[in-house]
Parts: sequence; structure tokens; C-alpha cells
Amino acid sequence: MSAANVISILSSKKARTMTQTSQSADEWADLLEAVARRQDTKAFEALFKHFAPLIKAFALSSGLHSQGDHLPEELVQDVMLAIWRKSASYDRRKAAPSTWIFTIARNQRIDMLRRLNKYRADVSADAIWDLESDTELFGEVRQSRIQDKVKAGLCDLPVDQRQVMAKVFLEDKSHQEVADEMKLPLGTVKSRVRLAMKKMKLSLEALDL
Amino acid sequence: MSQWHPQPDQLVEFAAGTCHTGMSVAISVHLHYCPQCRAALSELESASAVLFEQQAAVPVDDSTFEQLMQRIQHEPAAEPVTKSVNTRFPKALASLMPESLESLDWRQPMKNLRVSHLMTDESGMIIGLHHMKAGGRVPNHYHRGEEISVVLEGGFSDQLGSYGVGDFILRTPSDTHSPRADAHEDCLMLSVVAAPVKLTGPLGWLLNPFLKA
Repeated sequence: MSAANVISILSSKKARTMTQTSQSADEWADLLEAVARRQDTKAFEALFKHFAPLIKAFALSSGLHSQGDHLPEELVQDVMLAIWRKSASYDRRKAAPSTWIFTIARNQRIDMLRRLNKYRADVSADAIWDLESDTELFGEVRQSRIQDKVKAGLCDLPVDQRQVMAKVFLEDKSHQEVADEMKLPLGTVKSRVRLAMKKMKLSLEALDL
Repeated sequence: MSQWHPQPDQLVEFAAGTCHTGMSVAISVHLHYCPQCRAALSELESASAVLFEQQAAVPVDDSTFEQLMQRIQHEPAAEPVTKSVNTRFPKALASLMPESLESLDWRQPMKNLRVSHLMTDESGMIIGLHHMKAGGRVPNHYHRGEEISVVLEGGFSDQLGSYGVGDFILRTPSDTHSPRADAHEDCLMLSVVAAPVKLTGPLGWLLNPFLKA
């Protein structure tokens, strides 16, 4: 790799970190609303620049490229297209922008994997993981508080819990598949996830009836 | 409010989209009735989004944005409005159903029970509806695999508890039970079963609606 390449990578990395810290959830929400109200392509391009490389990483983490080299890029396009089309249904009082975009990426990936596996898609991901179903509003404040809690909690997680969390949440693997891959008992994977949730002070434990 | 819920790790798999379709539909239907699990799911999705944003970004091809804008201009712009015809049931279930319950292909394996098959998912789980007559009892049976029931209308009880609308009930191969519908009202359930169940009582082999499927 040439020195110039390294420098350009370093500077683009720096630029990315800077945009990440300077762009708050509010600004992403503003951009989504601009897309919804005015079909604002500049706003859309800004969203693309930030989220497309994350969607591609999300596609690669589930091994999508092993089923076709072009698929990660195709997923990026499918997700961004869905964001463009669904932007009018984005409601900042219900979800942080990154949460909304994550749910779209998840649903599009599920639909793509089903098509690839030639599994008859009797039911689309959007019907099961309904993006608009919730009638209660959790409120922006609560949303951003949850995200802050999770961010803070993630930093403090031991490596083994963090690794399991990333696999379970992003890599399209069931607990059992993560256990098989990491050669751990299923119970260990489940307990690491639960411990991590506890550390992030997620109230899921309240459901443990 | 629902009293019986999916396990936390089942909700985690639902949030990540990694459980099989039968389980996903069952949890989705439960969520429709359960604000508590919806709140938990929303937290899980927020947590996922944080992990999603913390991934190491992978640069996309230079041409991707341009191709995307081409698609936006040339593919039909508006999302087709997919209003579900059947508003009696949650969306995930309605999308698998015809307009009327009566146009389903019902089998009536015994006096008190009729069953209908909606689909078999990629893992072999059978998604269907069970309709028990008010006060009707289904003979004692155990399961060869998991059986998930979500109550849609009415209620029923068995040796392990009593259940109402929205309740998510998971039975494993070791459980034997004989459900009885509430006396005053028919009970309609979403049923997701891994494999045919086996009746344990005398004449069980005659009555088993699932083995004759």
C-alpha cells in the first residue's frame, strides 16, 4: 500500500470520526425529514455517506458476500431505496434515526436471505417486523437515553460479552449458531447476552417471569 | 395485558431476525397484544442500532450512489399501499390468511376442535389455527417437538395455567397437557408446531388430528 493511500485512509477515517461526533441523532432526523418533505437529494446523500458503509459492514457480517460478490452492494441499495421511500413514515418521537435505519436494514436483509434460499416468501419481513405498528410513543428523550445507556454500557463490557453481543445482534446467527461457532455451550452464550443486557441496564430482565 | 410472554432470548433472536418464520410470526402476534414486550423489543432494537453504528465502516463502490439515484428515478416511486383486508387479526397473521376464516380449509378431527393449516416454514414448523368450542377439551397429549400457541380470541386452561388473549404459550416435548377452552366463549389460537403431536390417552391414535394431517 502506498503512503498516499495510507494517508487518504487515515484522513477519511478522521473525517468519519469527526462527522460521527459532530452529527447528532437530531441532525440525522432532520435529514430524514428533509428527504420525506422535499425529496431532498443532498440530505439523502449525507445519509448515504454515513449509513451506506455501515449497511455494507452489516451485510458482510452475515456472510452475504459468500452467496454472491455483488450482494452486499445490492443490500446497500435496497436499504437506502427503502429509506428514501419510507422516509415519510419516520417519526422522530418513536425511534432514533439509527434505530429506524437498523430495523430497515434488518428487514431488507431477511427478505434478501429468503429470496436467496429460494424459500417461498409467504410473508414479508415488514409484515412480521412491523415498522409502523406501535401506537405508543416512547418519546425522543427516552430513545436517546436508551442509546446513551447502551453506548456507555458497551464500553464497559468484557471482551467476551461484547463479542457475543455483536454476533447475536448483527451477524444473523441464532444463539445456537453462535455457540457452535465459538465452541461454547448454548447456556454460556445466553448468559453472556443476559449479563451484557444487565450491564447496559436494559429492562429485559423484567420480563423474566 | 398478556400474562405469558416469550423468553428474553427468544425476543433477542426476534429483534435480530434470526429465529425461524414460525417463531417470528408467533412473537409478532404476541407483540400486537403486549405493550410490555413491545417496549422490551424497542430497547433491543436501540441496543442493536448502537452496535450497528459502532461497526467498522466498509467503503461502498464509487458508483453505488449514482446507481441508487437511477433506481429511485426509474423504479415506481410510491410504496404500494398494502392495507390488510383482514383487520380482525394482527398484521403478521392477516398476511397469511384469506379474507374470511370460513374460506380456510378446516379439518375437524374431534367434536371440540377444528384445525387449519396456513403454511409450513423453512424449518418444518407448521403454522396454523386451532379453534376450540367453548368448554371443549382436547385429550391429553404430548409433543414431539415445540408447540407454540398464541391466544387470539377467548381463552383456555390446562394443567399448567390459564391463558387469555395475547398469551404466548410454549410447550416442549416433555410437557403433557389437555387444554380446555373457557366455558363461555370459543377459543381461537395461532398454533406453531414442530412436528405432529401424539395423544397419550386411550384411543389417542384414533383422535390425533395432527398425525392424520
